[in-house]
Amino acid sequence: MASYDDDENFGSYGVVGSFPKDFGYGPDEQDTEDRSPSAESKPRILLMGLRRSGKSSIQKVVFHKMSPNETLFLESTNKIVKDDISNSSFVQFQIWDFPGQIDFFDPTFDSEMIFGGCGALIFVIDAQDDYMEALAKLHMTVSRAYKVNPNIKFEVFIHKVDGLSDDHKIETQRDIHQRANDDLADAGLEAIHLSFYLTSIYDHSIFEAFSKVVQKLIPQLPTLENLLNILISNSGIEKAFLFDVVSKIYIATDSSPVDMQSYELCCDMIDVVIDVSCIYGLKDGEGSCYDKESSSIIKLNNATILYLREVNRFLALVCILREDNFDRQGIIDYNFHCFRQAIQEVFEVRFKAQNLGANLQSSSGSLDAPAANGIAGSKPI
Amino acid sequence: MATLKEVRDRVMGSMGRTMYTHVAEGPINALSTCKDGSQVVLAGRNVFKIYGIEDEEFTERANLRVGRKLSLNFSCADVAWHQLDDNLLATAATNGAVITWNLSKSSRSKQDQVFTEHKRTVNKVCFHPTELHVLLSGSQDGTVKLFDLRKKESASTFHGRSESVRDVQFNPHRDYYFSFASTHENGNVLLWDLRRPDKAERFFTAHSGPVFCCDFHPDDKSWLATAGRDKAIKVWEVVPYKQIQEVHCVQTIASVGRIKWRPQRRYHIASCSLLVDFSINIWDIRRPYIPFAAFEEHRDVTTGITWRQDPHIFLSCSKDCTVYQHVFRDAKRPADHANPMGLCFNVKGDISFAASEALGGGGRAKGGSGMYASTRLPSFFRKNPDPTEQFRSVNSNLSVFTNRNRENPTAMDWFVKTAENYCLTGRPLSELCEHNARVARQLGRHQIVQTWLMLKLIFAGLGAVSDKGVVTSPSLGRIVSLSTTGGQGDLLDRVSQHNETSTVTDMQEAKSTEPPGITKEKDPSEPGDAEPKSALPQPPATDSAAHADLTHVHGDFFFGDGEGGGAYNDYDSLPNMDHIQDWTLPGEAFQPRHEIIDRNPSPEELDRPDSPTSINESETVSLSNEKLLKGTVLTPTPMNPSFLDVRLLAPLVVNMLHQYAEQGDVQMTVSVMIVLGDHLKDQVEEQIQEHWLMSYVDMLGCFKLWMVATEIVKLSYLIGVPSVGTLNQNSTSIHSNCNHCSKPLTQKGWLCTRSSTDTAGSGILDLYLMDCTRYCITVQMSEAGEHLFCMSPCSEGSVRVVPGLQPWRTHSSHPGVAPHQPAVSRRLRTLLPVHLISTAHRRLRPLLPVHLISTAHRRLRTQLPVHLISTAHRRLRTQLPVHLISTAHRRLRPLLPVHLISTAHRRLRPLLPVQHKY
Repeated sequence: MASYDDDENFGSYGVVGSFPKDFGYGPDEQDTEDRSPSAESKPRILLMGLRRSGKSSIQKVVFHKMSPNETLFLESTNKIVKDDISNSSFVQFQIWDFPGQIDFFDPTFDSEMIFGGCGALIFVIDAQDDYMEALAKLHMTVSRAYKVNPNIKFEVFIHKVDGLSDDHKIETQRDIHQRANDDLADAGLEAIHLSFYLTSIYDHSIFEAFSKVVQKLIPQLPTLENLLNILISNSGIEKAFLFDVVSKIYIATDSSPVDMQSYELCCDMIDVVIDVSCIYGLKDGEGSCYDKESSSIIKLNNATILYLREVNRFLALVCILREDNFDRQGIIDYNFHCFRQAIQEVFEVRFKAQNLGANLQSSSGSLDAPAANGIAGSKPI
Repeated sequence: MATLKEVRDRVMGSMGRTMYTHVAEGPINALSTCKDGSQVVLAGRNVFKIYGIEDEEFTERANLRVGRKLSLNFSCADVAWHQLDDNLLATAATNGAVITWNLSKSSRSKQDQVFTEHKRTVNKVCFHPTELHVLLSGSQDGTVKLFDLRKKESASTFHGRSESVRDVQFNPHRDYYFSFASTHENGNVLLWDLRRPDKAERFFTAHSGPVFCCDFHPDDKSWLATAGRDKAIKVWEVVPYKQIQEVHCVQTIASVGRIKWRPQRRYHIASCSLLVDFSINIWDIRRPYIPFAAFEEHRDVTTGITWRQDPHIFLSCSKDCTVYQHVFRDAKRPADHANPMGLCFNVKGDISFAASEALGGGGRAKGGSGMYASTRLPSFFRKNPDPTEQFRSVNSNLSVFTNRNRENPTAMDWFVKTAENYCLTGRPLSELCEHNARVARQLGRHQIVQTWLMLKLIFAGLGAVSDKGVVTSPSLGRIVSLSTTGGQGDLLDRVSQHNETSTVTDMQEAKSTEPPGITKEKDPSEPGDAEPKSALPQPPATDSAAHADLTHVHGDFFFGDGEGGGAYNDYDSLPNMDHIQDWTLPGEAFQPRHEIIDRNPSPEELDRPDSPTSINESETVSLSNEKLLKGTVLTPTPMNPSFLDVRLLAPLVVNMLHQYAEQGDVQMTVSVMIVLGDHLKDQVEEQIQEHWLMSYVDMLGCFKLWMVATEIVKLSYLIGVPSVGTLNQNSTSIHSNCNHCSKPLTQKGWLCTRSSTDTAGSGILDLYLMDCTRYCITVQMSEAGEHLFCMSPCSEGSVRVVPGLQPWRTHSSHPGVAPHQPAVSRRLRTLLPVHLISTAHRRLRPLLPVHLISTAHRRLRTQLPVHLISTAHRRLRTQLPVHLISTAHRRLRPLLPVHLISTAHRRLRPLLPVQHKY
């Protein structure tokens, strides 16, 4: 990193490494925040798995910025812990951290309530342990949840793979995939689809896996991806991520392949920006360290530039582009302005639809929104 | 043949030259050539152009990106040119549209059909190689769609329920007309049948991370190459009804974006990476570490490769807005600049190092113990240059560095020393164990040391008592008879019963919570003295003489315990001794003040009121109090027996014996067996015991330890294996009279001078009838002093019974029966039951040359029933030291049938030093 300069003042405050919990979704949506339609419109994710499989660690690392090494000292969770991160993030996470033995037949276990409004169920399997028990548990959990809510997405994190060799990783994934699907087929539940991810908290694979999970729950994803495609092809950008700032999950990116190094760079940039603005950007100890004015440029010594812009209270756009393409920063900024406008319209459509109570498919509605906006071609001709 | 091809290739190669053109519009995402390779279409977000490929340059033929409204449909992620119809193109647009183009259209815009069925970016389009109207597309939304160009909509949708599709490829082979592959972002590769859209035919996880591309081998129908973000190019063998296997893997330095097999070269594949590395590498998959050829013209990431039907020319496009034609003539050959070297080391730490002669071969380095140059090899060892081989051969020097700081792993010194120094009988058990442990310690065999110490701990208490001549039974914990007064005996009886019911963990808890009061009471006698021997309890001098005696006994116990206590700690690190470790835990828990244990009799410890298992608390309290006051009862019940019940532990010890025998250390097994003697009575089957003993005796014979062998044989009586014990008696029969003429033998040897002519020179002296009911066994003694036997059916009466002679040896049962043959030759040996042969052989082995032994073994192996063979094998394995086995096998090799050799080799391979493999 050759140099970086924060060209904006961050007129707000916060605490390093943590976000104020009082973030709203945005000024427009403030009034809907407390109402159920809005709450349901955000993805809700359950985190389950056997005891000691790493659920709490994942939760701490992804949402609370805990350093992976510190998770060693986490106590094992003894009771069901519900962690609500819905107010600070674009994604409404309700993380149910279930201790190992959960009795589905326990009358106090309200499966309707737990699985009913849930978008995705993440099941964590410890790859370094014997996973037979975990597979049995997975099967039970999945079949139970499927009965309650057939629309739920089942994601399996094969976790703690940092200790495995590359071959072993694939072998483990293959084996788990095979066994889990065989179990489901035996039970006549072929309709259930499990997605598998190899994750570790010691690299960004856990963030990427979470990103994939969240993306599946965002109905506007094709539109967002399309908008990003348009933005990068018109601005000479190599790669653009739309980040959820708190969790550093990318909720959308353009269609070119995601490469881990770029993603890690962008994640680190968000950390840098937040930290620096917390130290230098706050006036009178008030406000937030991430606001409308937030933006940053970092020049790398390989003639590449990282460019961060605020999109809304939860989202940031981070781009990677070549230095010579950044000559026309004005154009890029203009394009970005259009992009931000379009994104806001996309979400407005959704909220309007919800507020009206109309059962409009939010994705189809949102497809029209950018077309009304200044960027041409966002709607297929 | 090969040279012809080379010539042709050279000619073809000279036709093209490296050239490029710059496309002003922007980065190029993909390219495709038409069927004859004369034109190329380039596509990118802002580019869509057709270039003609001339001999010297690219010429722009058409720009398809025209029209009033340049929609996102023109922003291409991929392009494909139909291989049958030169006018038909297809592009994949970033907005999810699949568009076909008809170049024969007269209008300016050549756009033909637009399919907008995909929700997200289409990453790949692919025409069927032989069908005109069939087009496949793979998209970010996770679906593959099949289009029939005659229809307005997709013909079918393949939803693999994996993640985004990164690549789709039709199988180019005729046999697989309907099949295609799709690669996904979650690392899966799916193989589909066009006729079945609901489910993939085959599925496998190929990479960790996204799979960006795949390519079917143009010639080998079963090969599919895939590559992805995990920086690997993998070649899979896909055969119907067989598991998909990875046959080759190339590790690159950056995630791989595109791969293409090189035409007419079976093992060559071209790859370009997605970032960092801008060059195009051609790999020989047999040499996965260094590219066969590299092309480094591009200044930015290469996005597409296509061969021009010629293994020497290919086109590539890049994000640096250029399209290149590369010619192999101009390739860089990284392998030529690399110094060929090899480094390897073996299990003993020897290092061999080979380097080309040009580099000096590294042989001059210090410590090289051997240096070999390939040039010095006789000519027939040298590899003939293979015309198809793409690698050059280099003369090299090989240096071998031996590791001097090593112990010869195959040396058997420890065996000899152990055999000579072990003490197996004649002393108290504890002393024997101690002695043997010391012997083992001197030899650095720590596990053996610990085993002896454990045995002592387990059995010595009992052993010591019995050595003192006090009546005892093998069941420990009931040494009530020792107590001198009747009343106390009663109590102790109860106490010891109680002890048996309590579990180890309970005891542990009980001890750790021992009230301080007791400690205090005990301390004054000998405070802080940790020396076991000196920690003998100081009994109040009030009691009888028996008391002193008992105290003495107790000292023995204590000693054992103290030693054992040391052993526990060491044992913690030995995972395979877990079962014993469990038992030792209490001692460990109590270690900080273990002198108290020693003076404290067990009843008190075990039956304290705090003990969770106390059944009759009040009683035990009173007991301990009483005892403390009197101070007399303490000795008879040592702590060990109270919880180390032999009945519980014996199976564990037997397991241990089995384990040692399995590991090949039959010496340990036998020694323990003999030392423990009666303690293990009826715990091990006599057959197995016999087997072990025989094996050990054999081994001793191999090392010419006759004395020890005899001793073992003698001792085997003691542990109740008489069959072995008779060994010493049965080989010494002396014949005084000739069978035929009944005249006394006058001269030395077994041959009767008078009747020698009658017996065909074989010198038959004795014929015994062994078992008249069904079979006769003829036992002969030849002049060589060997026993020769024959079993024959008794019906014919052909067996002569010589009255008045003692049976040489009786056997109640015979495991096998061989057909009758004339009882003359030495070959009879092959017909005998195994245990007889083995007996004979065992005796013979130290005397015979190796090849004879091996002959015998071979015969054994081919004729015996399986379970017997395996027994024989197992015996061989455990008996012979490794170097002997290997020697034997080397000598055997010309004699043995192939399958036997291979068996032997498999066994030997891990054991042999490396040079034997050369």
